[in-house]
Amino acid sequence: MLNQSIVVARKEITDSLRDIRAVISSFFYAIMGPLVVGLVSISTHGSASEANVLVGMMAVFTLVAAFVGGMNIAMDTVAGERERRSLLPLLLNPIRRVDLMIGKWLAVSLFAAAGLAINLLGFAVVLRGSGMHLAGNWPHLLRVLALGMLPLPLLAASLQLLISTVCRAVKEAQTYLSLIVFLPMSLGMFLVFFPASAREWCRVLPLAGQQLQLESAIKGSEIPLLQTLVLGCLTVALAFVILRVAGNRLQRDEIIYGN
Amino acid sequence: MIQIQNLRKSFGHRAVVQDLSFNAPDGAITGLLGANGAGKSTTLRMICGVLTPDSGSIQIGRLGALLDHAGIYSRLTVRENLTYFGELQGIPRKQLDDRVDEVISTLGLDSIAGTRTVGFSQGERMKTALGRAILHSPQNLLLDEPTNGLDVPTIRSLRELLRRLRDLGQCILFSSHVLDEVRALCDKVVVISNGRLVAEGSPADLCSQTGTSSLEEAFVALTC
Repeated sequence: MLNQSIVVARKEITDSLRDIRAVISSFFYAIMGPLVVGLVSISTHGSASEANVLVGMMAVFTLVAAFVGGMNIAMDTVAGERERRSLLPLLLNPIRRVDLMIGKWLAVSLFAAAGLAINLLGFAVVLRGSGMHLAGNWPHLLRVLALGMLPLPLLAASLQLLISTVCRAVKEAQTYLSLIVFLPMSLGMFLVFFPASAREWCRVLPLAGQQLQLESAIKGSEIPLLQTLVLGCLTVALAFVILRVAGNRLQRDEIIYGN
Repeated sequence: MIQIQNLRKSFGHRAVVQDLSFNAPDGAITGLLGANGAGKSTTLRMICGVLTPDSGSIQIGRLGALLDHAGIYSRLTVRENLTYFGELQGIPRKQLDDRVDEVISTLGLDSIAGTRTVGFSQGERMKTALGRAILHSPQNLLLDEPTNGLDVPTIRSLRELLRRLRDLGQCILFSSHVLDEVRALCDKVVVISNGRLVAEGSPADLCSQTGTSSLEEAFVALTC
């Protein structure tokens, strides 16, 4: 039931916000992109060709921010619960395990979305301060952010929770979740340096699509509404599929015994 | 009342519980006794529903449980820990605060109720976990080696609490390998060895069945 999922989400959010160190590290991860781009923009003195690379970098960092915002809570909320042996008493409650997972997913998604929002605010500040001249198709950019980017934290949260259910301890989860951050990073970098490799269908592919649409919108291109919508829907659908798999993993005996 | 019939559970090729049947009646404290690895915790986990048996049946009403580790949230206070579980148990919000206060005072946790549980002693953690288990007034209470790591005053207050709950008509099933504990507390003992039932009855019954004078000797005669 959604009520119970909300109870779980509320507890996870309260619990995670009290982990001040984790909150601070997530914050630094989120503003890492604006800081790096800000520093590089000072050295390029706003030259147009280099601004193009910077825009690509910004898009990559924004994708990464959606993945790092919820990373700490994702590893703590399942692998951490297993390690501290609090998952077993939690599973004794009359709550369907899929509802439990949805609650945790809502909380992780919120943190991931917060990471994304802080990153975007950071970029807005950097752009104003650096005097970079970007064409910027702002209405389309806003549309891409709202319809294409907003589902990304949902996907990141699902993927991270799935990995967290496979891991037995926070340390193990940390290793794999850090690797997962390379997924948007390497894909994004690849597309920045080999833009010709991006086929039209890549623009609706979760992750690649966000990177390409975001970059194009910042550079001033028009993005068809349908393209953004398809990208958003595919991202949400993939997030649900992965969440379902993660929920199913909670049904297994290994989750109790940690083998 | 807990009724278990022909319960089986294997992990891979290893049969942990084999054709186990027993009852734990209402208004009694039943001890599940067995050596390390006899299948006590696995049985309790199946009764709780966190592990699915390979076959067999379990009949049980409303259940509260405290399994091997306290597993409480260190960044939440005692009250928040209890409230979270109360909400998940579906206790209506209006009654929940009163019930949490009642449990806190029953367990003598008043002075630390508003404190985050990080750094709590083993006894304080165990009491918080016990509070969580009895919060929704379950008819059946399952405890897996509840006295592990507790000091004498805490063990005594736990015993008193369990007797009080039994006198209220609740069914209490707890596992232990501490024979003194079982003798002091249990009305009925179920002895398992290698996942099988080897004896059932009051501590005195077991002694007379085996022709021994102490529960320890009876246990050795039954399981070794």
